[in-house]
Amino acid sequence: MNGSETLSNKKTNIVIHAVLIATSVVMIVPFIWMLLTSVKTPMEATQIPVKIFPDVLRWGSYTEAFVQSSFKYYYFNTAFSALMKTVFPIIFSSMAAFAFARIRFPGRGICFFVIISVMMVPNPVFYTPQYLMMSKLGLVNTVTALWIAALISPFATFLLRQFFLGISKELEEAAILDGCNPFQIYWHIMLPLVKSALVAVVIIQMLWAWNELQWPLIINSSPEKLTLSAGLATLVSKFATNYPVLMAGAFMAVIPMILLFFVFQKRFIEGVAFSAHKG
Amino acid sequence: MNSRSRNMWAYFMVAPTLIGTLVFWSWPAFYSIYLGFLKSENFGLVNHWVGFDNYQKLFKDEEFWQNLKNTLKYMVLFVPSTIVLSTFFAVLLNAKIKGQSAYRVIFFLPQVTMPAAAAMVWVVLFAQDYGLLNHVLGTRVSWLSDPRFAMYSVVLVGVWAAIGFNMLLILAGLQGIPKTLYEAAEIDGAVRFNKFRYITLPLLTPTLFFTTVVLMIGASQIFDSIYLLIGKTNVALPSVRSLVYAYYQNSFVYYDQNYGAVIVNILLFINLILTGLQFLFQKKWVVYD
Repeated sequence: MNGSETLSNKKTNIVIHAVLIATSVVMIVPFIWMLLTSVKTPMEATQIPVKIFPDVLRWGSYTEAFVQSSFKYYYFNTAFSALMKTVFPIIFSSMAAFAFARIRFPGRGICFFVIISVMMVPNPVFYTPQYLMMSKLGLVNTVTALWIAALISPFATFLLRQFFLGISKELEEAAILDGCNPFQIYWHIMLPLVKSALVAVVIIQMLWAWNELQWPLIINSSPEKLTLSAGLATLVSKFATNYPVLMAGAFMAVIPMILLFFVFQKRFIEGVAFSAHKG
Repeated sequence: MNSRSRNMWAYFMVAPTLIGTLVFWSWPAFYSIYLGFLKSENFGLVNHWVGFDNYQKLFKDEEFWQNLKNTLKYMVLFVPSTIVLSTFFAVLLNAKIKGQSAYRVIFFLPQVTMPAAAAMVWVVLFAQDYGLLNHVLGTRVSWLSDPRFAMYSVVLVGVWAAIGFNMLLILAGLQGIPKTLYEAAEIDGAVRFNKFRYITLPLLTPTLFFTTVVLMIGASQIFDSIYLLIGKTNVALPSVRSLVYAYYQNSFVYYDQNYGAVIVNILLFINLILTGLQFLFQKKWVVYD
């Protein structure tokens, strides 16, 4: 490689970095603005011309958002339903996925088809019938209604099946000779082998559960039964243009996921990309 | 172990997911179609079979056509911009530059952000008088309540949120292209753009196709950002209201479940077509390893 070529490579690298940095700024600005606005006074937040930094950092909006809008319920309901919507689908889906991938049983094809066919249906199609069902069961406006329909996950079943299909037969055959039943094979041999796929499913389920808006909005209405997403939507109607309080609320809602993301960034990025690839 | 007891184990392991799917997902999907043929009175206590009346009403409703147009417009604006930008950044990041992982984290950040919270801060950024966007651009546009701009603002927020994730998918696709192909092209003296045009793009087609279909399916169901960015009293709502928003409004604000059901059944129809197309072309293009 001659000298002029490395020079031009250096130049393009500088251009690439400039483009990437500029875009990174655009990507982050909303977060910075959220944080900056949350520590302003309502006056500063709507000042003309725009005031970027507040005179003093004022944290009062956080207490105001927390106290005046049942935030402790939002946190609990969101965390609890996210937990339910992660733990149960992981158990049920991996069991079903294992059976579909590794056991030949009568009706396997049709059962699998029934499960994955609902993946083609847009979520809103389910909402009215599910609402009517909840209403029959007396579950409208309860925390249970937030997670009960999501204890199983066709998507996770489909995804994990792909991974179980890729495991070689030998391990399994040895276990069968040792007299293991299918559940023991699943639990002791197969599950440890698909650990990375399980992590991906945990992350995806958690993200979905944490951020979901429409179903909580439809099914629940009292403040003690809302999730963070739906709670924020009601915060907007309550505080209208009191932006510091709204931004404090928004910041409190996003920070747990963002912290988790920073701690497990590699797992998040790989998990999400890799699952979409197999899916 | 005999095959009988092996089968019993299989049914036991499949049962929770199968029963859960049938009860909570399959049955509701069929019930939604059934609801479209009913007219409910007294909060659903009395149901009359009305055949295609709801659909006839829907097809005569100008608002429905406008909502369908809005949804398609959103898809047409959002999907190509996301694909082009995601591909662009994926190609840049694939060029073995320093700080790749830092950029990936930053671009991915909107993906882990609750859409409701993101929409709230965008409302502040878009504000006409004291919004940062107008301040930086030196304009005084009302981004969210001017019918001429509202759709583009919603698209902007959608693209902002979607780039990081799709960039990662495309990056994974890029990394699957054998390096030897580029080396061969370099020996032949190919310039950077030609390498992209004749090697990268054709080999990336399966990834791009898959990403496009997934984005289209997602975009056809847009609700969150319209609900939170635009809101029910906004004068620009008619120019951005999507099918799902109209479904929500009819079913849970006006309490007309049947009319809501027909709207969402149309959406189901659109999604089945999209999935069918994916299935059809996937067989042609995607090579499974």
